[in-house]
Amino acid sequence: MSLEDQELSELKSKIGREPTPTELQIVAAEWSEHCSYKSSKRHLKMLPMTGPLVINEKGYDSGVLDVGDGYVVTAHIESHNHPSAVEPYGGAATGVGGVIRDILSAGTRPIAIFDGLRFGNVEKDLQARWLFKNAVTGIADYGNCLGIPTIGGEVEFDECYENYALVDVAALGFGKKEHLIKNHAKKGDIVVLMGGSTGRDGIGGSQFASDSLESEDRSAVQIPDPFIEKLIIEAVLQARNDGLIHAMKDLGGGGLSCAISETADALEIGIEMDVDKVHTRESGMHPSEIMVSESQERMLIVTSKIKLKKLQTICEKFRIGCSMIGQVKSDNQVHVKKGKKTFANLSADVVANATLLDLPSKKPVYLKTIETEKKFKPISDYSKTLMKLLSSPNIASKIWVYGQYDHEVGIRTVVKPGKDASVLRLDNGKFLSAKIDGNPKHCYINPREGAIGCFEEACRNVVCTGAKPIGMLDHLQFGNPKDPEIFWTFLESLKGLTDFAKFFEIPCVGGKVSLYNETPKGPIKPTPVIGVIGLIDKKPSVSQKISEGDCLIIIGNTKNELGGSEFFEYVHKFVGGKCPVVNFDDSKKNMNSVLDLIKNNLIKSAHDCSKGGLAVAVSEMCMTNQIGCTVSLDKVPGDKLTVDRILFSESHSRYLLSFDKKNLSKIKDLLKNNKISFKEIGKFGGENIQFNNKIQSVVKLNVEKTHRVWLNSLSDLILHGKTS
Amino acid sequence: MATFSVHVTIENKLGISDPEGDTILNDLVLKGTHKTVSKIKTAKMLKFTIKEKDKKTAQSKVQEICDDLRIYNPMVSKVIIDVFEN
Repeated sequence: MSLEDQELSELKSKIGREPTPTELQIVAAEWSEHCSYKSSKRHLKMLPMTGPLVINEKGYDSGVLDVGDGYVVTAHIESHNHPSAVEPYGGAATGVGGVIRDILSAGTRPIAIFDGLRFGNVEKDLQARWLFKNAVTGIADYGNCLGIPTIGGEVEFDECYENYALVDVAALGFGKKEHLIKNHAKKGDIVVLMGGSTGRDGIGGSQFASDSLESEDRSAVQIPDPFIEKLIIEAVLQARNDGLIHAMKDLGGGGLSCAISETADALEIGIEMDVDKVHTRESGMHPSEIMVSESQERMLIVTSKIKLKKLQTICEKFRIGCSMIGQVKSDNQVHVKKGKKTFANLSADVVANATLLDLPSKKPVYLKTIETEKKFKPISDYSKTLMKLLSSPNIASKIWVYGQYDHEVGIRTVVKPGKDASVLRLDNGKFLSAKIDGNPKHCYINPREGAIGCFEEACRNVVCTGAKPIGMLDHLQFGNPKDPEIFWTFLESLKGLTDFAKFFEIPCVGGKVSLYNETPKGPIKPTPVIGVIGLIDKKPSVSQKISEGDCLIIIGNTKNELGGSEFFEYVHKFVGGKCPVVNFDDSKKNMNSVLDLIKNNLIKSAHDCSKGGLAVAVSEMCMTNQIGCTVSLDKVPGDKLTVDRILFSESHSRYLLSFDKKNLSKIKDLLKNNKISFKEIGKFGGENIQFNNKIQSVVKLNVEKTHRVWLNSLSDLILHGKTS
Repeated sequence: MATFSVHVTIENKLGISDPEGDTILNDLVLKGTHKTVSKIKTAKMLKFTIKEKDKKTAQSKVQEICDDLRIYNPMVSKVIIDVFEN
């Protein structure tokens, strides 16, 4: 961790002197990409961040949405990629801890966790398997110990993540609007560090190597302690109820350095602190180490002198550390002392606001030819191909993953993981639906359209539960931004997300940018992960069991869009082609129509068409309902396409609806009135998943057998190394 | 060839927190009457029985096994290997 030459001279000119070693460490932490967003911040402003339901307060670490009746929902997304790549269990678990504290810092109780996981090719790569297995266990252990349900997420494998891991964690919080922390502080207020002790863990870089005992043994990895986190949650919420918190911030990347300087800058105050007052785990820690340690499970709280005693009593009751480390001043300075000796004294504005960069961008050369398809060997047996896809790690059931998570604790979960989106019951009688989605394969081929596709897919999933999208979280993960080609893909993705968010009036309520995601083989594919939160005013659409004779309608056109599809990449081992493009008008019409159908109680279930296309989506409906279905491919609306394209194209804005035959005419009328492209394409019944093209049978698979393979293939691979 | 008993202790590196050890200390030991205890550190132990030509080879062979098979994660933990002749 160090400043670049130009940043160092900038710092010197801003403060008019040589910085002290501690000042250098503090500024290096805060001016790092991770904390300052220096490469991305000036561009992120293009995203719409306001809306009728959005509540903006200074210093919030999470987005806040008003869900009516005096209640709010908070949301945040974070990643813990680098730590998880070296210690997947601890890295993933502490990632959960960090995002939970972001939710807590607004004064709301965390009620749900989501995780988006990406690893290398688990079929061939044992390291990827080890990373995956341990990251899932880390998330499960942490979330389960906290009593917060992990209710959804996504898992994807791609060779671009070889020897690496993307671990994204999102969390939702819920609380009363009147309990939101109104971050404020005045001169004389007390700064308290609450929670776990500060140790040498999580200190990045090697600058301490020469002056620390056993420095070669020190690790940049943090050790999770969910029980302390649970106690912090309860202590903070009690302090919140008692009105003891003036301002609050969680300690994440950059540790105390960032928490102190960002709080001082956001609240326009100064903070004077003494490192000797910080409760440490090890003796002899240097002030610099204390300031940049990323030890987990810590919160910074600003309270008044009068309220301090009560806060200490609460911490004592919960047996968590509580150190009075400093006080609020009026000089806007971050003043770090050890006893009487000053180690750092800098303007909060200088520390918290790194100079934003304007990096060059250039369209990547590879994009010139990426859309050109090559000739493929014709598929001789589509039944075999579909079975292969259904058992592939990206498409197979993720029950092995979410089966390890307690997804019901807290008794809010109405729709559980494994469906399109999960749904939570709120105290005001409304319901909250949420989903995170990403698709690096599409984003690699077309960063703009791929990112829009992720956003639309998350919306579709939420819409399938009957919820109207009210907010989004974006997590933008890319390689080294100093490579103009990579930065171009970042900008394109961001522009796409902005256009979609503006068109649909879905504000961005939170997000994260993670750059420098590089593996030994090069940068990762552009990996934006989008979370969408939807609100259901009355009751959610809980899928009803499909029975014999029920009908199947597809909404939306199937287009010649196999680029970046699982079919191209997994079956043909081909990266390229034209990736799906969202037509905003059609997307809006289709979304609203599905919501209308759900509101009018006309359908049994809605399922979106995404990875693996129509063939996989229909199979999933059949398998989860243990019923067969006969689908006529020649009836599928859209471009005139060959059988493989109709089956596996991953075109967006498509929904599959199952319903009782008696509702057919009402459904048709509604869709015709809304000018929707749709067709009745199949009937449920029998024991086979069957796709016909006119009179010719194209696919015929036994539901029970297929279900067994789909359900078990991921756990067979991870636990027993079995490949299909 | 002689038979050796090799004890492999896997524990967190120095300076890395040990929530399990802290919990045993604070919630079990110190809640009793054992006030003289100041620290408890948890670890995992594997006991290998191995036939090798000498003590040194037994130790290096077991170290090699632990490294190759990812018996521990060197980012977080360290191993201490003790060899006893049977």
